[in-house]
Amino acid sequence: MTRHALDWRDLILGLFLVVVAAGALWMTRMLPVGSAADMGTGYMPRVVSLALLGFGLFFLLRGARHAGEAIEPVLIRPVLAVLLAVGVFALTAERLGLAIASVLTVVLAGFATRETKPLESIGFAVLLSGLAALLFIKVLALPVPLWPR
Amino acid sequence: MELFDNLLMGLSTAVQLKNLGFCLIGVLIGTAIGVLPGIGPIPTIALLLPFTFGMEPAGAMIMLAGIFYGAQYGGSTTAILVNVPGETSSVVTCLDGHQMARQGRAGTALAIAAISSFFAGTVATVVIALLSVPLAALALKFTAVEYFSLLVLGLIAAVVLAHGSVARSLSMVFLGLLLGLIGIDVSSGAARMTFGVPELSDGIDFVPVAMGMFGLAEIIANLERPSERRVVSQKVRDLIPSRADLRAAFPAMVRGTALGSALGVLPGGGAALPPFSSYALEKKLAKDPSRFGHGAIEGVAGPEAANNAGAQTSFIPLLTLGIPANALMALMIGALMMQGIQPGPQIMREQPQLVWGVIASMWVGNLMLLVINLPLIGLWVSMLKIPYRLLFPAIVLFCCIGTYGIANSLFNVWLMLGCAAVGYLFIKVGVEPAPLLLGLVLGPQLEENFRRAMLLSEGDFSIFLSRPISAGLLAVVVVVLLAMLSPAIVRRRREALAE
Repeated sequence: MTRHALDWRDLILGLFLVVVAAGALWMTRMLPVGSAADMGTGYMPRVVSLALLGFGLFFLLRGARHAGEAIEPVLIRPVLAVLLAVGVFALTAERLGLAIASVLTVVLAGFATRETKPLESIGFAVLLSGLAALLFIKVLALPVPLWPR
Repeated sequence: MELFDNLLMGLSTAVQLKNLGFCLIGVLIGTAIGVLPGIGPIPTIALLLPFTFGMEPAGAMIMLAGIFYGAQYGGSTTAILVNVPGETSSVVTCLDGHQMARQGRAGTALAIAAISSFFAGTVATVVIALLSVPLAALALKFTAVEYFSLLVLGLIAAVVLAHGSVARSLSMVFLGLLLGLIGIDVSSGAARMTFGVPELSDGIDFVPVAMGMFGLAEIIANLERPSERRVVSQKVRDLIPSRADLRAAFPAMVRGTALGSALGVLPGGGAALPPFSSYALEKKLAKDPSRFGHGAIEGVAGPEAANNAGAQTSFIPLLTLGIPANALMALMIGALMMQGIQPGPQIMREQPQLVWGVIASMWVGNLMLLVINLPLIGLWVSMLKIPYRLLFPAIVLFCCIGTYGIANSLFNVWLMLGCAAVGYLFIKVGVEPAPLLLGLVLGPQLEENFRRAMLLSEGDFSIFLSRPISAGLLAVVVVVLLAMLSPAIVRRRREALAE
């Protein structure tokens, strides 16, 4: 076993927070800050981002000084499949219609695990797509096309 | 008696045929998702929010509340039969409940769990009714100054009672606050951090955030663990517990209810903490603690009563002060705002039908759960046989369509995608996303009240200390934070939260 001299969980979290805070500070740099009595639009963003920056630096420092729990290994398959499924839904829902988008989403999501059986997955996807169309378009009148336009 | 008038008025709302229907739908959906491990009430309620648009506020809230406490019932069914907690709140029920099932007493365990939950639900309804009036009256005296301090207390307490490191949770609150600032500033009309995206000018919708972080990220994490699910395949019989069982369970039930009611009211409370505390208490009080873990009936009755009581009393801060005690209540606030109702101390006076209707519906809903749950046990068991490989793609699809449905915008779907990725990162680095959701929902209110308070005092920060109520609230914040720094309490807290 390799010994972890660093706490990677703290380091990654700290880095994430520093990046977010720096981004927010940069984006709100033009907003008037004002004073406490007469706060400008930029007052709260400045205060909150600085606090966040502080937290980020704190975690970075803490993570660099102590060893910590190791991060559980990341399995790329479920991450990719689920995120891809959602992305494909976003890309296709309004162009190809709900029916096709639903089938694509369910089948793609199924790739997240080895347990999925191809035929079962496709059949189930068609079934769900029908249900979704019935529920969301017929019953709830969601303004999304059912078929490609 | 004002109390009875109020409850009667609420009951008259709750027993309207359509509201009874919504309540039934709510508790049925709640039980179903409670039974299923891997899907909790937070994504479910987020998912169903768009459907509540067209409903009356009372009906919507009654249904959503039903999902929440229904899930507590369902969670225990899975815990007893499969030894897998359907919800986090039923982790403890696994210990003795599943042992009882293995000894062939599954029916008794299920019945005791249901009866304890019903008992706790009934008492908690009365507690809510009793506490709501004075709290709301007190809250009406609040100005922006007190309200700001109260919001701070709510956020800090939520962090302290949450699992995990306090510093990490605090940073999540600030991240949530930052996200809450996105959008057009109400007082100046200037766009803040909108990236030029028109969809962001009204601020970030919290539903995609909640679904991404609680729904999708959880699914991804679940898929990494090997799936294993064994259902106790015995016939469930003896659904009516014997007199001796009831006598053994009753004191635990009462103690669990009291503990759960008290812990539920605290900010950050809810259904997760009370059952652990109750289990520890029962074990300590028992003449023979060694029975625990081997099917002690008190180990089922106490925690089950506690989680249900806690689930219900966590509505008190929401209904009286407009402050959510946990992430789920934050969603409830969102539901209210979607209905055009501004949550806050004035809600009790302006919407008495709604508030008392929801309170009374909780009792009605608990009664429904008791009556329908046990006969339907076969249905719930068969639901457990749905393999996860079919369940999760369906959840992914419904999350997509549901998120789209809130504002008919694909932008929200992309936002959910981003939040899922970030939520997964958070799971990997061991951060709880719940404080983020609280910060996101409360952020705008916090800024608004801070601004007003500062206008009032002309920029003098000491106003928060010179007003007695505000000073008192902030003193509690300081005490809580200091207590967290003291090593002895840190150790105890770690032990308490580590089951």
